Amino acid sequence: MAEIGRVRIRVPSSIKPGDVVKVRVLVIHPMEIVQRKDGKAVDKNYHFINRVIVTYLDKEVAQFETSQSVSENPFFTFSFKATEPGVLRITFLDTHGGKYEGTADVKFS
Amino acid sequence: MERPSTAEITRRALLRALGALGLSGLLAPGLAAPRPASAQGNLANLGPEEPVDATMKRLFDGRPIKDGAASIKLDLPLIAENGAVVPVSVEVTAPMTPQNHVKAIYIISDKNRRPLNAKFNLTPAMGQAYVGTNLRLGESTDVRAVVEMSDGTLLQAKREVKVTVGGCGG
Repeated sequence: MAEIGRVRIRVPSSIKPGDVVKVRVLVIHPMEIVQRKDGKAVDKNYHFINRVIVTYLDKEVAQFETSQSVSENPFFTFSFKATEPGVLRITFLDTHGGKYEGTADVKFS
Repeated sequence: MERPSTAEITRRALLRALGALGLSGLLAPGLAAPRPASAQGNLANLGPEEPVDATMKRLFDGRPIKDGAASIKLDLPLIAENGAVVPVSVEVTAPMTPQNHVKAIYIISDKNRRPLNAKFNLTPAMGQAYVGTNLRLGESTDVRAVVEMSDGTLLQAKREVKVTVGGCGG
């Protein structure tokens, strides 16, 4: 659990300006599932990521709302349009107030 | 934020709650993190336990949903050996211009106890409507991707997945 919140981002290595590129991102997180007792869900503050925010050049590109029915160590892919070199930043927020961030440099070759 | 019990949750309360979350996330992502746990972590967080019809009604309020099989590419395994990790990806062949783009993609598993798995809010800056993730599926079920366009049109594609071992624990 010590690694919780580690973010890995993969951006293709050769990008040309204007390309639509596919990014893969993984975050280490338990995504705690609902516990049940006598068939009823236990009401407690489950620990899972409920929001993912993607920004590129400091502008929001996408926002994902996730639930417990996304797997442990959530993995996401998405595309974005690389217009100029800059930073792609992905922020994960969880239900316990945790905030995990990963960045990738977008460079053109 | 009020916390109606799952049984008597109203569509209005849920929309209000979702709206508040969305706004805070948009305006101040940094501020959203230290929100009190009670506001976020309750069972009604994204989807309460409900049959899939209730989810569809809550999300789309009976708006007509067109068959989008032609434009939505829903990629799922036919058989998922492990319901805890089921890869899914959704690609929509639609232009992503500020006037006409894909606004949101919902992934809904019909037989999960909380059918709404995830909602992806997209912007034209993505260039292409493509998202993917790993799902947890409790049992063999239909998985549907509902695509909301910027003009409010809804499109849907559906696929069945056979799940060998459920991934939702209890």
